[in-house]
Amino acid sequence: MPVVSLQGVSKTFEDHVAVDNLSLDIVKGEFLTLLGPSGCGKTTVLRLIAGLETCDVGEIIIDGEDQTQTPACDRDINTVFQSYALFPHMNVFDNIAFGLSLKKVPKEEIRIQVEKALDMVKLSGMGKRRINQLSGGQQQRVAIARAIVNQPLILLLDEPLSALDYQLRKQMRLELRQLHRELGITFIFVTHDQEEALTMSDRIVVMNNGHIEQMGSPKDIYEEPVNMFVADFVGESNVFDAEVVSVNGPDINIRMGNVVKTVENSKGCTIGQWVKVLLRPEDMTVETLTTEACPEDVFPGEVEEMIYKGTTVELIIRLDNGQKIFVLEFFNEDAEDIYYAVGEKVCVSWFKGWEVILCDG
Amino acid sequence: MGESNLLKQTSIGLNMAWIFGFVLLPSLLVVAASFMERDPVHFVKQAFTLFHYRELMDPVNLKIFWNSLSYSSVTTLITLIIGYPFAWYLTRFGKSKRALLLMMVIIPFWTSSLIRVYALMTLMKANGVINFMLIKIGLIDRPIQILYTDFAIYTGLVYSLLPFMVLPLYTVLEKMDMRLLEAARDLGAKNLQIFWRVILPLSLPGIAAGCIMVFLPAMGLFFIPDLLGGGKSLLVGNFIKNQFLTAGNWPFGSAASVMLLALMMALMGIYLMVMNRFNQSGSART
Repeated sequence: MPVVSLQGVSKTFEDHVAVDNLSLDIVKGEFLTLLGPSGCGKTTVLRLIAGLETCDVGEIIIDGEDQTQTPACDRDINTVFQSYALFPHMNVFDNIAFGLSLKKVPKEEIRIQVEKALDMVKLSGMGKRRINQLSGGQQQRVAIARAIVNQPLILLLDEPLSALDYQLRKQMRLELRQLHRELGITFIFVTHDQEEALTMSDRIVVMNNGHIEQMGSPKDIYEEPVNMFVADFVGESNVFDAEVVSVNGPDINIRMGNVVKTVENSKGCTIGQWVKVLLRPEDMTVETLTTEACPEDVFPGEVEEMIYKGTTVELIIRLDNGQKIFVLEFFNEDAEDIYYAVGEKVCVSWFKGWEVILCDG
Repeated sequence: MGESNLLKQTSIGLNMAWIFGFVLLPSLLVVAASFMERDPVHFVKQAFTLFHYRELMDPVNLKIFWNSLSYSSVTTLITLIIGYPFAWYLTRFGKSKRALLLMMVIIPFWTSSLIRVYALMTLMKANGVINFMLIKIGLIDRPIQILYTDFAIYTGLVYSLLPFMVLPLYTVLEKMDMRLLEAARDLGAKNLQIFWRVILPLSLPGIAAGCIMVFLPAMGLFFIPDLLGGGKSLLVGNFIKNQFLTAGNWPFGSAASVMLLALMMALMGIYLMVMNRFNQSGSART
């Protein structure tokens, strides 16, 4: 049984449709990320689950119970807000104790629970501090402690890392994962940062314009994007327009300008169809042109830019057909020489099966 | 540079001269007069005495101070009870509506408060508008006494001073971070709990400012008890006025003024202390 089930949920603000007939089941204990550009409705979905907004249509089932109309204060769900929303008139301890004291938990029990929560977010001994004496990162931790101390069924996190600097953000990602493992609570995380989504989640829901574009593991989302939006939003990709010229069993031959290449027909495209071929920068292979011309199924091109990045080299290559592509090469023992001179002629290709074909291109 | 310096010095100088000549000097004169003896012809005689302060400690005179304090306190409490929800709902309206409603709070100030009190008198008179209406709708069959009662005094004080309560409250409540209320709700707080645990503590600076701005003028508004109360209840303001204008006892009036001033300064001191503590303990500013 899913811990939360959204069924045909819609929410409109004035004339803007924030969430459009969205259905989503969230598995108990998973780390689910809602990923999408700003305005895609991901925060509204979170607020609907929290009960801070009510949906116009649809049902919200929480823990097997229809809680569509249940107010936020009666839901067993807590939120870590983007702005933290800590109470400025209380110290750290009182902020964290807020939820428990409302539930009339005995004082001594509250003290033990708050100390435990402070330990978990690595703020032991800071209970007496005032909120305005804390750094952004510490406020973030208090906000997390204030939510988890209530041991909610679900923890919602609304872009909690966006206000932190890069180093701290990377560290908090790991800590949140750790916290998730220790607590076993369902985490629903909202972000527009694909790197955050890929590194932290068990499952990613990519959203756009109030609906779900794709759902799946980080690997699925990155390696098998189902449409151009997902491919564009998550990671970088090179896109080729191609025409299917023949179908041979499980493979198809596609023509991209003068280049004809055999690829796997994973999506069942048919002859004559125009398709899009997507390739991640790291999935492309580059070889220096040593013969007269590149083979027939390989793109000839010229190195336009080479950017050395320590563990990788980024190449911007202009193909002879005018298209610019982006290639990422890793240093490794087999290919020591991945330096290219600007202006050098190269042949660009990929291994069959590493591409993603979108038939309805 | 030289010119702007000259301008700066002139404007500061003029202000300082004004404050010295028309605030500080008269105040010092009042303090000095309070220690002098009474003189029927020249109003004061230059001779040191503590007689008037001893006189003030007389229970009859202390009662006047006590009366004033209680009138001011009750007025402050009433304006707070009326003003708080009003200020709160004011912040709930859209920007344009809010401006209009605030305008309506302020517009009465375009007329002199004395004139407004006279207007209140015509409403409250035995044959005034209120009695006329009450008889018309059949609630009463002969005019009731409204004017010259405590009710009339409180009505006048509250009516005159309510905006001074509403404005500071509005300022604080408008700045309140609504996300904090959401966070409280998310953590399980119901409306009343949100009010007691979040909204009220965060609006304390506004409450303190509003109370000071109502309480202090209420102590000195002598014409409201005079006109609406019929001069029956003697308050500090009336008492001082009477000593100067009717009894011709300037030293005694001065002593009463000094005591009122000291009382107000003590209250301001308490207010500043409270604000200081609030600011140190993490104010509404984050």
